[in-house]
Amino acid sequence: MEFIYLLPILFSGLGSLLCILPFLKFEEDISVIVSFGALFSSIYILFLPNLTTDFFYIDGLSKIFLVMTSAVYVAAVIFSIYYIEHIQNKLFQSHFYFFLLNTFVLTMLFTVILNNLGLVWVAVEATTVTSALLISTENDEATIEATWRYVIIVSAGLIISLIAVIFIYSSFKTLSFAELLKLYPGLPASMERITYFGGVLGIIGFGTKAGIFPMHTWLPDAHGKAPSPISALFSAVLLPVALFAIERILQAIPNDGVKVFAFTLGLLSIALAAFMSFNQVYYKRMFAYSSIDNMGIALIGLSLGGYAFVGSVLIIIAHAFAKSATFFLTGNVLINYESWKIDEVKGISKTLPATGYSLFFGSLAVTGTPPFGTFLGELLILVAIFNTYGVMITLLTGLFLAMAFIGINYQTLRMVFSEPNREKKRENYIVVIPIINLLLALAVTFASPLIYNILFNGAWK
Amino acid sequence: MLFYLSILQLLYIALLAPLTIGIIRRLEEIVESKKGPSIFQEYYDLRKLFRKETVAPVAASPFFIAAPYITFSLYLLLTLVLPIITAFPLTFGPVVDFVGGGLIFGAAGTIKKIAAIDSRSNYAHLGTSRASTIGALSEPIILIIFIMFGVITNTNNPYVINNVLQTSTNWYLSLIHWFATFAFFMVLIVETGKLPIESHSLGELGMIDQAMEMEYSGKELAIYKWGGYMKHFLLMNVFMNVYAFPYYVPMQPNLQHILVYLIINYLKIILLAVLFVIIQETFSKYRLFKIFDFVAVALVLAFLAALVFYTTGGTV
Amino acid sequence: MNHLDNAFLLVGFLEIALVMFMQWEVYITNIIKTFSISSYLIAILFLIVGFINKESYILVLAALTALTRGWLIPFYLKRILRKDKWRARETSPLVGISSSILISLLIAVVGYLLYSLTLSNYIKSNLGSIPITLMLQGMFLIISRSSTFTQLIGYLIMENAMYMFGYIFPELPFIVEAGIVLDLLGVVMISGAIIRLREDVIKNGSEEYTELKG
Repeated sequence: MEFIYLLPILFSGLGSLLCILPFLKFEEDISVIVSFGALFSSIYILFLPNLTTDFFYIDGLSKIFLVMTSAVYVAAVIFSIYYIEHIQNKLFQSHFYFFLLNTFVLTMLFTVILNNLGLVWVAVEATTVTSALLISTENDEATIEATWRYVIIVSAGLIISLIAVIFIYSSFKTLSFAELLKLYPGLPASMERITYFGGVLGIIGFGTKAGIFPMHTWLPDAHGKAPSPISALFSAVLLPVALFAIERILQAIPNDGVKVFAFTLGLLSIALAAFMSFNQVYYKRMFAYSSIDNMGIALIGLSLGGYAFVGSVLIIIAHAFAKSATFFLTGNVLINYESWKIDEVKGISKTLPATGYSLFFGSLAVTGTPPFGTFLGELLILVAIFNTYGVMITLLTGLFLAMAFIGINYQTLRMVFSEPNREKKRENYIVVIPIINLLLALAVTFASPLIYNILFNGAWK
Repeated sequence: MLFYLSILQLLYIALLAPLTIGIIRRLEEIVESKKGPSIFQEYYDLRKLFRKETVAPVAASPFFIAAPYITFSLYLLLTLVLPIITAFPLTFGPVVDFVGGGLIFGAAGTIKKIAAIDSRSNYAHLGTSRASTIGALSEPIILIIFIMFGVITNTNNPYVINNVLQTSTNWYLSLIHWFATFAFFMVLIVETGKLPIESHSLGELGMIDQAMEMEYSGKELAIYKWGGYMKHFLLMNVFMNVYAFPYYVPMQPNLQHILVYLIINYLKIILLAVLFVIIQETFSKYRLFKIFDFVAVALVLAFLAALVFYTTGGTV
Repeated sequence: MNHLDNAFLLVGFLEIALVMFMQWEVYITNIIKTFSISSYLIAILFLIVGFINKESYILVLAALTALTRGWLIPFYLKRILRKDKWRARETSPLVGISSSILISLLIAVVGYLLYSLTLSNYIKSNLGSIPITLMLQGMFLIISRSSTFTQLIGYLIMENAMYMFGYIFPELPFIVEAGIVLDLLGVVMISGAIIRLREDVIKNGSEEYTELKG
């Protein structure tokens, strides 16, 4: 019976195995099939009860992450097939690209179901290894420099979270989540300090991977230079997976100091994103800062717990769909305009109407505009901040969010609704993928009772 | 007894210092597969210089002529207060402690610098400015090293430091001691002008100490050189007797032991001389601004000694 | 202090001094060699711990450390360093050499203070400050240098510091430890591939990337 819970992983593993074989020529078809397999099996898992064994700990949150990851996986694979033809100077052949893509998703799917903080660390570090080469698919100087920064900064950050793992192990004498969640109340007072440091270092360390403030610097580089489907996967899934590890730590160490620390880092991330989004020159970098913004507010929600936690999960899901859509669209813009700069991209709504309008809506969605799920999440979190920290902090958070909103949407408006500087082009059918993703981001708002149900009752009843 | 021992020590230093330098020079030449000068060459040089007449720059003041004699007598004073052939204080031992000894060294250096400025020679000025810059960085390191040994032994007295290290194997083997010793060795290289820092060739570019005595001649130059040899020999003695190898230094006033120790001490010095030669022949000279990296490493080592002390809580 | 603590202290401070030496050194082959020496030192420490505590598990760890960090990784890095390897050097450090040595020293002091103010009550031994210092110094090596090799070495020093943490804290479960070793090897391999690409593609290392600014 446990076997069923592993189906998404088996599918992506099968996909990567088949793609590495050089004599098989169907790597694209295989990847599409296994990604759909992973998606359907994850949706099926939603209906199954929670699971706790020695190795696996699958609760509502894990299930939601599984579905989210595999959904973006499907979209990224389909979009890759379109996008990879347009990459000029490929570092490796397409079957190796799909092998890496499948393996990357495999490691992320693994991360969310493990019942051991140490193994979660191993899996998160493994995502670094599997994803590094994907960034440098477009083989030029800046891309390789960005890849290098990604590898070295993220690995150094993860070493910090390894200390956190050691601290937590030395105070709890176990790393299994199922036990960690029960142990904290019975901990002797002398241990409080070391668990506090464990929590703090864990947040900094895994926060590196999630693009949280002090060690976020790799994120704009990597997102800005990676191929669009990879940027989409990074932003939509990889960052939340790192947040997932932080959430497990926060659950295991419900210490007020740790929570305040997480809140502060989240707030600083939002502030950074708010200020940086104004003066961006490259549109993919700008959306990367929007990811920092969303991860920051999600971390705040996680630190507050309760309904803010639900808000975070809503933001994470809605952001996953909306941001992957946005990155797909920027990929399409890049292919058609052949420029990374905001100033050189004009009038998308005239040259590529479907891309232009969906990019506009995507930008609204990732900045938390009302009908989308991100808005509902931000609203829940703001209310929780108001209840916990009072009106001033709430206003400050709202101000930063508004700044990011204005900064990003203003730039997008300049790109979408201006005088075109290119001929009108034929729209590729691939635009359907981002549009579907945007609709899903919208649907998150209406599915919020369901998500609540899955989070707290474990299964879709 | 102590008084006569003091005189013995004075003579030992003053007479054997040129020989030590001669041995180092000879060994260097041998390593370079050359025949090299006799080990007594420094004595011949001194004798020759003593016979020559003194010429001073027109612009120089009488201080210019007096400086060599003052520095020479300061070095002579130092020979009386440091543990060289005995591990117990001699007649003049109580005059100064380690910091005081450092101050006397500093005073001699300062007088030399002032005299060099007084000579109004460009090269001497260049040497002075370089020596001052490097000295400003290396002297705090010496102070840290003194403080670390003071912390180990609760005193600043070189004799006590020697006794403590001689009797306690724990302290002798401790990391604190060895970090400080290594730092002192690096400072020793700076102070005696050995190779990574300064090359004693005829090119003016790398000159530091050498440039300061550029305008001297005759008897004054001989006195300066002799003083320089003595400083060199004294520092080597301090390094060996107090820091690196404090063993066998006689702790009781027994004339026989002391006489035997004279030979052992000279063997120690030759050991150090061989080490110097190895360094001299394997390293190439640093560019001037890289000397500061070298000094920074010495500072790091001295500080690490302090850090080890605090990490271990002062126990060994 | 018992003998093990003494050995730990000795190896730990030698590691710190070796990192200082790496800050001093500009030639990359020498930095790699120094890293190799520091890894062997850690292997020796584990060997001593394993013998005194009679734990074969730690002996295996010592052998693994010597094999992977002492030999394999330096060998691999030197092989990547193919063009004119005796001349490969740090050309444009972000922080000057003597100031980076002094900052590294300052980091050692800060590491000690940080540890004694926060954790020393819990661990009942001052030795914990050594891995913390080493970790911060590794980070600083990454920040202060622009050569990819030195940055990777900085990361590896952080890893070595992790292993020294293992002495003070209880060992992690074996499966986690094995996973960590595999991961770290993976990171080194991937970094090697990227460094190689970077050497091929980037002709002069001091180029500014406007696309990676802001």
